[in-house]
Amino acid sequence: MITSRRSTLVGAGLAGASLLLPRFAIGQSDTRRSITIAVQKTANSNTLEVLREQSNVGERIFFTSLWEGLIGRNWLGDLGNTPSLAAEWRRLDDRTVELKLRQGVKFHNGDEMTAEDVVFTFGRERMFGNSGDAPQGRTLFTTETMPGRAGNTLPPEVPAVALRNWPALERVEAVDKYTVRFINKTPDVTMEGRLARYGSEIISRRGFTEAETWLDWARKPILTGPYKVADYRPDQSLTLVAHDEYWGGRPPLKQIRFVEVTEVSGRINGLLTGEYDFACDIPPDQIPAIESNRAFEVLGGTILNHRLTVFDKTHPVLANPLVRRAFTHSIDRQAIVDSLWAGRTIVPKGLQWPYYGEMYINDWDVPKFDLAEARRLLREANYRGEPIPYRLLNNYYTNQTSTAQVLVEMWRQAGLNVVIEMKENWTQIFDRNSQRGVRDWSNSAPFNDPVSSIVNQHGPNGQQQQVGEWTNEEMNRLSVELETSIDRPRRKQVFRRMLEICEREDPAYTVLHQNATFTAKRKDVAWKVAPAFAMDFRPGNWGR
Amino acid sequence: MLRFLGFRLLRAIVTIVLVVTFAFVVLRLSGDPALLIMSVDAPPEAIAAFRAAWGLDDPLWVQYIRYFNAIFHGDLGRSMRDGRDAIVLVTERIPATLALTLPALAIKIGIGVPAGVYAALHRNSLADRMVMVMAVAGFTIPSFVLGLILVLVFAVQLGWLPSGGQESWRHAILPVITLGVGGAAVLARFTRSAMLEVLGQPFIRSASAKGVPWAAVVRNHALPNAAIPTVTIIGFMVGSLIAGAVVVESVFSWPGVGRLLVVAVANRDLAVVQCILLLVAMTMVIANLIVDLLYGALDPRLRATRTAGAH
Repeated sequence: MITSRRSTLVGAGLAGASLLLPRFAIGQSDTRRSITIAVQKTANSNTLEVLREQSNVGERIFFTSLWEGLIGRNWLGDLGNTPSLAAEWRRLDDRTVELKLRQGVKFHNGDEMTAEDVVFTFGRERMFGNSGDAPQGRTLFTTETMPGRAGNTLPPEVPAVALRNWPALERVEAVDKYTVRFINKTPDVTMEGRLARYGSEIISRRGFTEAETWLDWARKPILTGPYKVADYRPDQSLTLVAHDEYWGGRPPLKQIRFVEVTEVSGRINGLLTGEYDFACDIPPDQIPAIESNRAFEVLGGTILNHRLTVFDKTHPVLANPLVRRAFTHSIDRQAIVDSLWAGRTIVPKGLQWPYYGEMYINDWDVPKFDLAEARRLLREANYRGEPIPYRLLNNYYTNQTSTAQVLVEMWRQAGLNVVIEMKENWTQIFDRNSQRGVRDWSNSAPFNDPVSSIVNQHGPNGQQQQVGEWTNEEMNRLSVELETSIDRPRRKQVFRRMLEICEREDPAYTVLHQNATFTAKRKDVAWKVAPAFAMDFRPGNWGR
Repeated sequence: MLRFLGFRLLRAIVTIVLVVTFAFVVLRLSGDPALLIMSVDAPPEAIAAFRAAWGLDDPLWVQYIRYFNAIFHGDLGRSMRDGRDAIVLVTERIPATLALTLPALAIKIGIGVPAGVYAALHRNSLADRMVMVMAVAGFTIPSFVLGLILVLVFAVQLGWLPSGGQESWRHAILPVITLGVGGAAVLARFTRSAMLEVLGQPFIRSASAKGVPWAAVVRNHALPNAAIPTVTIIGFMVGSLIAGAVVVESVFSWPGVGRLLVVAVANRDLAVVQCILLLVAMTMVIANLIVDLLYGALDPRLRATRTAGAH
């Protein structure tokens, strides 16, 4: 066959057109919007793996767009458990939960999700590494292998986090293609909660094993969510595109792009100029300025996270619980909420959340603001005005520095001499080379049971005791009981007693207010915000 | 000349070692990467596992020896956040930073030097006063303030340019202007004062008295002599090409080396910080070396001194 230059060019042109035309046709048919969301940070760990990215910012990009668990959360409601990849579940006994998988769920690579993927998700290769035989509460996993070096070797912190999430998981069994059983070593009433928690989401076995390295997988995980990863540039942006085979229906958006804009002013300016559709992490003091423009509004509110002031019992003055109690009574929490949060958050009933359900203690409350009582306690403690250090980070938490300044003045009203010491990072906050006093913290509840918060944070293996700030023998005994008891009325009694110890008798901390997060957007975008960092762009939450 | 270069090289190596050692010690003593990267709420077991995996639980001197041993084997370490080689992470960001700093350098030199010369040649005139007012303003306004003002005017109010990001060449305009204005102001002031000093010298008066045209006096006698302090300042600017846009990159969400440095320091991503510092130190040292060589080219007396010293 003889070809001339002209015929070659014509042929090439036709071939090019044939490639372009279908794409053009697809482009024409897909009228869904693409949106851009400005965030302060996409992920701290530079990965998209739930077991490595343990942060609030991770929750925002993961849920509900990417990762899904067997038991889901009612993100736009009370955050309670809802069917997700499992259509139903039941208790077989105190140690076993059986779940029926939803059929027809497709991963981002087109594979159908089966029991085999669930078993693999909770297996050694992906989750527990060689730590599976570690005794409860101890981590034996150390390795010379660095993350991302070769193969699918897990970074050591992944099994460590997994073990914390599932301290006594014995095994996961595939009963048939669509039925799995989770079997615990010990009785545990929180298994359903743990299945719904951050870190128990399901991955594609083939997606994981086919990735060249663990890091490759962790930057483009194959999951079941309504959007899949198209492009991830750590510290810069994350682009998700619609997963049109999503089991919950066709996603309403064609593309979601999260861009990192570290400066608040940059996020707000980008929103005002139309470059961004959403601007996240808006400080409360910026809300009036944004809403002064009638085209925009700021949504958001309380999240599953409480701000605390934490005490160090080893300080000679704070060793006396009367002094710590005086601290708790000197705080006008509502004044902080009204002045620094524009009234957009609340003072909760201690370290608990209503989504605990039957474990929520409705008649509990934070210590009453009572300066007379605080002064009486200080007199009884024979406090002479000795300085108490307050190690402080510069706005690690929203409004942190201004809250600290307000607190110090409130404490001064009661007669407490609290001295702020600015620190750069958490290492300096925990440093034991000089005397610690009080500090800031926040506590979350990853699942709907007090074990997820008061035990995990203040119990014998919680951070506060691990850093040597506080301990209480009765509290430690009760923590074990709360974790292992299956007697629900007794568990509630135990939880109440723990609150009495930690918030009244021998204060470990005092709750200041519930935390809140705010997102600005154009008013004409019909979208409902979740009471969480998570941003829900599933079918049903976009457009009118 | 060789002795001169050898001495300069030795001094450069010592400088680099000191910079890296200082950074190594300060970074490790002021923050725990495990706590910063894993977050304060990560389980203590995960923190411990992270420390063990990255050798952070070894004594400081062991880590130091290991680090320098690796450097001498061409390994600048790996990012604890990213898992990839630090040098790869840093070099990936260099083009983005140069996309700002090179045009900004051109603005600095292209505006700053002529403005300074013009102001000096028209000393005490209205033009001189205006140039100096602009120079003082440009010099004193912090870059983040100027950046925000430019965003408010040209992005928010006028809608002509984007407020941040790196999607197109239009996104570079405001950060380049922000970077360029401050440097141009500095150069204008230095050039003006250098020119004024030279213009007051007897040899300038002699040349004028001999009837040499004023333009030739300026071109052949004043400018080369005034160039030495100006070249020194430009040398500093060249030295800061790689990491000289930290604030501006943050204000404009520009993903360059500056932003990488901020994130790496905040997270104590040790290998990345040290890699950037090493590169910055090397760039600065090389720039200084070039400036030293230029001194010789600009002023034959210096060249003669070095040659004499080399014998």
